[in-house]
Amino acid sequence: MSRAVGIDLGTTNSVVAVIDRDGAPRILTTAEGSTTMPSLVWFSPDGPVVGEAARAGLDHSPDCTVFGAKRLLGRRFDHPEIRRLARTLPYELTPAPNGDTWVQLAAGRAISPEEISALILRELRRTAEAFLEEPVTRAVITIPAWYDAAQRQATKDAAQIAGLSVARLLSEPTAAALGHGAHRGQDRRYLVCDLGGGTFDVAVVDVEGGVFEVLATTGDPFLGGDDVDRAIVDNLVRDVRQTRGIDISSDAIAIERLRLAAQHTKHELSDQPFAKLTIAELAQLPSGKGVEYNRTIRRDEMELWASPLVKRIEAPVIAALERAGRKREAVDEVLLVGGSTRIPIVRKELGRILGRDPSVIPNPEEVVAIGAALEVARLDGIIDGVLLIDVAARGISMSTADSECEMVIAQSSVVPTREHRLLATRSDNQPRIEFDLWEGESPEPARNRHLGRYAVVDLPVAPSGDVLCLIEVTIDTDGVVRLGASELVSGERLTLEQLAHAGLSRAEVLRLQKSMLEAS
Amino acid sequence: MAQARTLHVRCTTWEQVDVFTTRKLRKGKLLSMKVPFETKAGAPLTLGLELPNQLVVAIDGIVQRASPIDPEPGAKPDVSRTWIEVELTGLTDEVMNRIRTMATEELEGKTPPIGSTPPALRRTSAAVVDDLPADERELFQHLSSELRRMRSAAVHDVLGVPADANAAQVRTSWKNLIRRHHPDLVARRAAPAISHLAEELTILANRAYDRLRAALVAEGNGTIVGPTLSSPPGWLVGFEDIASGGAIVRPSQPRLERVPDATPRPRTSPTLAPSTIQGGEAFEARARAMLATGDGDSAREVLAAALVVYPRSRSLRALYLVATAIVAVLRGEVMLAISQLETALAHYEQSIEATMLLEHVKKYGAERSDEMRRVFQ
Repeated sequence: MSRAVGIDLGTTNSVVAVIDRDGAPRILTTAEGSTTMPSLVWFSPDGPVVGEAARAGLDHSPDCTVFGAKRLLGRRFDHPEIRRLARTLPYELTPAPNGDTWVQLAAGRAISPEEISALILRELRRTAEAFLEEPVTRAVITIPAWYDAAQRQATKDAAQIAGLSVARLLSEPTAAALGHGAHRGQDRRYLVCDLGGGTFDVAVVDVEGGVFEVLATTGDPFLGGDDVDRAIVDNLVRDVRQTRGIDISSDAIAIERLRLAAQHTKHELSDQPFAKLTIAELAQLPSGKGVEYNRTIRRDEMELWASPLVKRIEAPVIAALERAGRKREAVDEVLLVGGSTRIPIVRKELGRILGRDPSVIPNPEEVVAIGAALEVARLDGIIDGVLLIDVAARGISMSTADSECEMVIAQSSVVPTREHRLLATRSDNQPRIEFDLWEGESPEPARNRHLGRYAVVDLPVAPSGDVLCLIEVTIDTDGVVRLGASELVSGERLTLEQLAHAGLSRAEVLRLQKSMLEAS
Repeated sequence: MAQARTLHVRCTTWEQVDVFTTRKLRKGKLLSMKVPFETKAGAPLTLGLELPNQLVVAIDGIVQRASPIDPEPGAKPDVSRTWIEVELTGLTDEVMNRIRTMATEELEGKTPPIGSTPPALRRTSAAVVDDLPADERELFQHLSSELRRMRSAAVHDVLGVPADANAAQVRTSWKNLIRRHHPDLVARRAAPAISHLAEELTILANRAYDRLRAALVAEGNGTIVGPTLSSPPGWLVGFEDIASGGAIVRPSQPRLERVPDATPRPRTSPTLAPSTIQGGEAFEARARAMLATGDGDSAREVLAAALVVYPRSRSLRALYLVATAIVAVLRGEVMLAISQLETALAHYEQSIEATMLLEHVKKYGAERSDEMRRVFQ
């Protein structure tokens, strides 16, 4: 078996970790010497640049520099949150033929978020190969617990394009608990709050006799450190208009410079009560003269700007406890994960909601990747006696041409699981039956997420109602949905055709994998 | 007066012995079963466990609980049967070890060296994977025979719990089962065939668990949070137990196998009672009970599930088509209903329901569809 790595594929930063020869998890450093790599890809004229080096792209050509691709992965273009996000991004989004969200590059080329994520994964893979001095072909990749089947599949596709086979898609709260060493200690009930660059996840995780069970997960897929940056930028833009009399809100380069400075200031304000923000050349006046911008930002000022975002923390936490049927006092330990939990006001707010001081992990950015590496060790048999139990985050429904959606697999079924439905022909010698697969449990198709349209074809010639197709829907340990079809009475396999689907097709994934292999 | 009885339990294969020692016993000593005689709590009882090598091990026990079973319709009324729970006091660790040693060694095809120390017992712990055969071929055979057995077992037998198991029992057994079979435990072998078998076994265990906990929740005997299942803090009244005008539960309807229980609990609907998923006939009985209440959709669901297990049962297929026809009539699709009923008769001429309903539908069309359920009452 070849070496496998654990990858925390984050919205803003990604981390890769391995299990050392002495069995201890180890975070790998990038060529620049940092443990985290920005999830950033600059499509420069000379080809894609990934990671720290791509920061240059933010300065030169923000429209060709993609950050936060994880937010776009496996999402529909017409999703209201994507529409809202599109207005604030310096690069352009475009709908793919199947309704997915793609990125429109300035070069007139559209690229899928899967390919962008694959570029990041390939870079992490290279880092690991440089350290291990051997090829890496397998990985455990962490994903938010609330990811739907399409997003999970998209993550798997991205890995395949990057030449990595996914040993497991591991949910981030579980990874955090594992990375924190929960499997070694006593039985405990954890509440994991993961506030990363782009997403906020809350999970109630019980650890009992080495068995990890996620009781409830909630979250806000559009709340994170990037939003805090944006709040700072919005206020600074207003400040620039008032103090300098120029409007830079439509100047993409100026906004990008402001965003980088805001991010830096935010980090400084976690440790100091005030920080100085300096931009040598923010924008140019019509005369061609550069505008310099200096400002001291106080922590309480930033906290005021971020307060609408901080307020959004409470609802998911309360909802998670409620779903788990647990009082806040019954939680043994609160784990804070993700770089944004370093922000003092976030800690204070979580402390207020939970009525206690949360545990401070020294490395909130890295603990998820360590968990992923430990998962590799667990699957390879280096760690014994630990088992992770996960449940389906959402139900799966099915519908035929004229019917409403009918639930096949209920929400919070333990995975892996399988259920089936029978479809009968409605007319004599009917050659095929079409059906749709949905994620969600609503009878109304519009309220569910469409996973794909399929057809069972080449049905045997028989009178109406005589051919019964057994459609089996399986959710595997990665939370990915698989389909199988057979004729009920004879038990013979039937051919399933995929007519429409979310995400990339198998052929596209293979083609991209090949082209990426050739490029490297 | 309490009379000492001997109960003969015959295991014809070593797999059965293995199942007996690992799955049938609760707390290592308690055995629940149905017996064809009357008995009382406190009565002595000797269990004669016959092993496949004709060796009979006598184990003394005392009846802890006993409750009579209602005679099933169709069964001879004079056969009185009792459901009992026996504490096997004579099953000492020594006896247990001997039986297990024999079973383990027979299963692995070795002759037991006399006087050797018993090998590690099959305990259900996360580390159990080390007790599973190390040889890939043997592991494959072991897992596939487990899979064959579990595929034909009723849901509670998959988990190895009594049909009336409570929330804690169901959860513990399920946890033990996945600790044995979870695909992650064999991932290190990097053998796709073995991983596949482990996944199939886990799927069966998870499905059984999901069904049983759904049933427990429906009966008001449990609450679900994520993968866990716990007993409710207090007495919960099932929603359907709250009397609502008009809907009267007919006591004669569910021709189901009754599970005796010392404390009768509210049975909300026959839909989810797990104890009844036991055979083609039990499925039919459940479906008929649903059709009698006019719930054609649920009946189809039950029959579809049954058809997977008994794909060649003509009567099941016919009943499935009848249920489909009823759903079609309720939607006003008379032509579809007629074709479904005719197909049902083509499959199973003797279907009285199909004959009667076909007449009814041909006469009234989609009207008076309420009368259709009378066929099943």
